[in-house]
This record gives sequence, C-alpha cells and structure tokens, in this order.
Amino acid sequence: MVALLVGMCPGLDEGLLRSLRAADIRTVEDLVSSDIEDLAQKCSVSYKALFAVRRVLLAQHTAFPVSGADLYEELLSSTAILSTGNPSLDKLLDSGLYTGEITELTGGPGSGKSQVCFGVAVHIAYHLKQSVIYIDTTGGLTAGRLLQMLQTETNNRDEQMEALQRIHTFRLFDVCALLDCLYGLSGGGGGGLHMACVGGGSVKALIVDSVSAVIAPLLGGKQNEGMSLMRQVAAALKTMAKDFSVAVLVTNHVTRSGSGEAQPGLGVSWSHVPTTRILLERVESGASGRRSATLIKSSRQACLIKEDFDLQWWSRAEGGRGGGGGGETSGKRKLDETDP
Amino acid sequence: KRAAVSAVRMKRPVSSLSLGSSLKGKLVRAGFQFTTDLQDLNPEHLSAEAGVSQQEALEALQAASSGHGVAPVTALELLQKEEEFRSIVTFCSQLDEALGGGVPVGKVTEICGAPGVGKTQLCLQLAVDVQVPAVFGGLGGQVLFVDTEGGFQVQRLVDLAGAAVRHCSLLAEDEEQRVAMTTFTVETILSNVFLVRCRDYVELLAELHLLADFLSNRPRLRLLVIDSVAFPFLRLHDDLSQRTRLLQGLGLRLIAAATGHNIAVVTTNHMTTRLHSSQAQLAPALGDVWGHAPSIRLLLRWEESRRLASIVKSPGHMDASVQYQITYQGFRDADQSERPPSKRPRSQTDQSASSRKNTGT
Repeated sequence: MVALLVGMCPGLDEGLLRSLRAADIRTVEDLVSSDIEDLAQKCSVSYKALFAVRRVLLAQHTAFPVSGADLYEELLSSTAILSTGNPSLDKLLDSGLYTGEITELTGGPGSGKSQVCFGVAVHIAYHLKQSVIYIDTTGGLTAGRLLQMLQTETNNRDEQMEALQRIHTFRLFDVCALLDCLYGLSGGGGGGLHMACVGGGSVKALIVDSVSAVIAPLLGGKQNEGMSLMRQVAAALKTMAKDFSVAVLVTNHVTRSGSGEAQPGLGVSWSHVPTTRILLERVESGASGRRSATLIKSSRQACLIKEDFDLQWWSRAEGGRGGGGGGETSGKRKLDETDP
Repeated sequence: KRAAVSAVRMKRPVSSLSLGSSLKGKLVRAGFQFTTDLQDLNPEHLSAEAGVSQQEALEALQAASSGHGVAPVTALELLQKEEEFRSIVTFCSQLDEALGGGVPVGKVTEICGAPGVGKTQLCLQLAVDVQVPAVFGGLGGQVLFVDTEGGFQVQRLVDLAGAAVRHCSLLAEDEEQRVAMTTFTVETILSNVFLVRCRDYVELLAELHLLADFLSNRPRLRLLVIDSVAFPFLRLHDDLSQRTRLLQGLGLRLIAAATGHNIAVVTTNHMTTRLHSSQAQLAPALGDVWGHAPSIRLLLRWEESRRLASIVKSPGHMDASVQYQITYQGFRDADQSERPPSKRPRSQTDQSASSRKNTGT
C-alpha cells in the first residue's frame, strides 16, 4: 500500500490529489486498479492527464526483471564464503558460510550451539580479520571463553586484543529491541548506527544467538502478534544478508516430535527462512567435548550427512589431522579454503 | 557498485514498530508502509489521514523517529567488565576451581538433582557466601531468596552463617580485615537475606515482575535464589503450551535481570524420568524449553555413597565432576582436603581438626 503524495510524478498536484481523495482513491493500488474513464468523470479531470499519471506510477512501482546471466555475474562478484574454522563443519556447509544467506544451527540445551558461534566469531575476527556482529539473547556470551579460544590460536596478547575488538556484541532480551537493533544497523531507523560505521565497514558476519529465545514466547495461545513479528525478523535478516553481503548465522532450539525425535523449533513457517540447517547433538560415548552435526536442510549438498567434531579442538579435523596443534602462532591455512 | 552498497539504507516497515496491532493496521491501510513515510508529518495531519486519535498519532510518530537500538560493546570491553566481577565461592574448592572461581555473577545457574541430594543446602551456602566481605575475596552483597517449596530453614542458615563467620575470623590477619569482621556477624548475615515465599506460579511470576523495582532500590543485591523453579510449574499439566510460554518468558526475565543488574541468579530444578530408546534416564524437569534458559547447569547426584557435582552445561568451562560433602558447617570439599577458599595461606590446624570431627554428621 503506497500512499499517493504530491509530487510523486509530474501532473500529480495538490488539486488532483484532493479530488482523488474525495473519490476515495488514497493509494497507488487504488488508482491503478480503478477505471480511468469513470474516475475522470467523477473528479472532473481530463482523461489524458489521469492516464499519463497512471502510466508513470506503473513504471515507477513495477518490479524490474533481471536475466539469469546478470544474476549469476552479480552472485560471483558479491558472494564470499567464510570458513567456520572447523574442517568438519566446513565440509557440511560446502566450504563455509555463504554471504547473502542465512544458516541455522539447531540443537538441544548443552549441544554446543553457542560454542560453535564463538568458534566462528573468533575464526573470522582473528584469521580472516573481518568484523563480526554478535547479538546475544541468551546471556551465554562469555568474553573469557572467546579469549580462551584465541589463546589456542596465538600467544601474542596484542593480536588477541585486536581480534576481540573486531567482535561487536549486543545483548537484547526482547523482540522489539532485536528489531530496533537490526534496523538500526541497516540505517533504516533514520540515523544512529549503521553497518558501514561499525567495524570500519568490513562487517562480514552477523550472528544471532539465539533467535528462538525471543520469538518462541510470543507464539501460540491468544497472542496474535507472534507470527507477524517472526516474519519481520526473518525479513530484516534476509534483507540485511542480501543488501550488505554478510553471512547470517542464527541458532534455534529443538522441540520433540511425537516419536521423541528432535526437530528444529519455531515451526514450519520459520523453516523456510534459513537456507541451510544443521542439527547439533551430543555424542553419548567418547570425550565430553564431542559433538555430531547433521545437515538437515541444504540447497547444495545431499541432506543427512553427518560429521563428528570436538569442541575443544576447533581448528582440527576429527582424528587430529588438519590445521596443526593448538598454539600455532600463524594460521598457515589459506583464507576461505579448507584443508584437503 | 561497492560504494553504493554502503549508502544502502533499509526501509523499516511500520508493522515492525512496537505499537498496538490495531494502530499499525490503520496506518498500513492508510498507505503508510515505511517509517520514512511517517517522517515530517505532524500529528494532526496523521490523525486525519489514518483515522486515528491525536494521542495515537503522536505515539506512532515518536516510535517511528526513535528506536535505533543500543550501541554495541566490543568483546574486549566485555572481557574487562567480566574481570571486574568476582564469582560467589561455594566453599567446596574443587567445585570452585571447576567453575573458574565459583558461581558467576551476571549469569543464570541451575542446580538440578534428585530430592535430598543437597540443592537447598547449596543455595543456603551461597546465600551466606555472597555476603563475605570484599577484603576476604567475597562480594559483600545481599541476597533475595525466593522459596516455593517451603524448604528454607532459618536454623540451618544460622549454623552456616556461624561457620562462615568463624572461618573468616580465623583468617583475619590485618587491620582492614578485622574491621570488616565487625560487620560480618550472624545477625548481619541474617538481616541481608530477603526471604519471599511463593505458593504457586502466579505469585512467582508476580514477584519477578516486581523484581526490577526491588533491584533498583537495593544496589548491593548480588544474588537471587529461586528454590525451586520446577515445583510451581509441575502442577500445570493441563495446559502445556501455556506452561511452555510462561517458562520461556520467565527465563528471559531472569537472564535480563542477571545481565542488566549484574546479579547471579541461581535456580533449582527437580529430576524427571525420560524414556530414551526404551531406556529410562533421569533428566532435569521442565523439558528442553527450560533447558535453554540457564547458562550453567550443575547436576548433583549420588554415586554409591559419594556425592558428586557435575557441570553439564557451561559456556566457559569444560564438563567436570567433583566430589563434595555436606557437613554441619555446610557445603564443603569431600574428605579431609578442605582448603580455605581465599588465597591466604592456611594458618590454622585447629580449623581442619574440628571439621574432621564433624565429618560424620
């Protein structure tokens, strides 16, 4: 619903607007869908003028088709793949987090979702030297743990501090604050914070841990705003991912289906929002840090592939191959590539 | 094209503002889809256009122009803030070590266990430990104890307080500590514990609604104990979806209070049986829904004749299991290896001798 305003197009002046209002035509949709001849008579305006106005408005407000080839070119030039730092996860994600897309991590309590988010944030801040925005709604963000993870990557205190400064955190506990924050970051709030100002303009990842903690209490019962707010958050995240070329990583809780199977929370409506979904679970046997990740939704790989990894050794593949021992001072791995 | 991206501003739809849904509906139907449409309008004009009252028009314009959100905090600043706040010791040094100092301030910690394993004892111990003066390595803070089961016994608190006072007076070495001991007595400890008894979930939720006011009047409050959070909700089994929503809202409120006012929130939970591939297992009650709310989860259990405390969920610490015991003096390390929680060297042999005498209790 776009309101008709003075000066929207040549020929739409105060007088014409008033007579249209009198005929109960308030929005562009109303004008475009009404009969021009009829309207011209009712408002005593010339048919030609009204027809010209209608044509200009249609041209201004229609969607513009783009050819597939152009779209592909744009994708190649603007998408980046950010490695998560963990070779097993990278294998599941087809070499990493893609910018312009939303990736979801889901799992029960204690399954390691926040730990994976910390690992990704630390890897991007330290190895890829890009800024990360971390929105925490669970209160689980512990800077001490981030420092611990950085200490396994490098012993240089300055580098550790520098990497910590690239992680920008927000602590929010309700959905309106989350929407304010997201729109504030995208500059839609009319000033204040803007993504380009945070981190010197090199923000490449946005992590929201967790999105279900603020939305789930609003769904169900006699509340009717829940679904609408969920869609608002989804729209904001998707638009931010596309417009600013960032990789969005969100976490979700699980619910138990009738047969006791774990499935991602927030229902079917939310399941269309992320492009890729990973389910994390604790591995019963073995060391306490072992987790298994299963790919449950992906447009690039076959689903239900499973990978095991250890939360203690983030940059090592399973079995100790890959990145080398913890305590290496410089990552000898190339940026955005996984080890063969 | 790169330069253009940085100038992109997303338009914020009016339906994402925090206004009443009927007001938002009227605005959208009148053609105001984005907040940019609402800019530079005066309230009279808007109320005429959209058919809303002046008051509502003013509200809508205020919501549209404000709301940028808060400024971000870098992880480095967060680290510095975390290092400022000490943790609350449990007097069981092995558990304190596993937790990196004790129960952390600013997070929600949950203690789960079967009946009789010592959850209320640990809560009472923490209620005393939070009041240990700062010169001894404590927080010198007050505590709000919300009791839903009726398990709070004043006499037991007196015993624990007495033991803590004796312990600290033996440690007092310099003048500053001796002065602090004059304000650290059983009477002052009891006067710094605020007890609230809630009989059902409505009273519990009401109490937490009033929590923000209570906290702003008492800046010294550093600990909130809810013993137990499961009991009032276990009786709500006819409307499980309502229970889920209430628990999620409760969890959010506790986390907001913990981070916003820098207090430690400790809740206790019961255990329930869960059938997992035809095997019955003990799991914390209230389900996965509540499981996401606490950041740290401690599981207290019996293993033959030993009492074990395990960390099963924590953002900053590895999973670990330590042995503990509950003596006349309270929550302590198992066996004779009782070490004082502060970093002062052990200067008393009579202290450990008297604890050995009481081990049998």
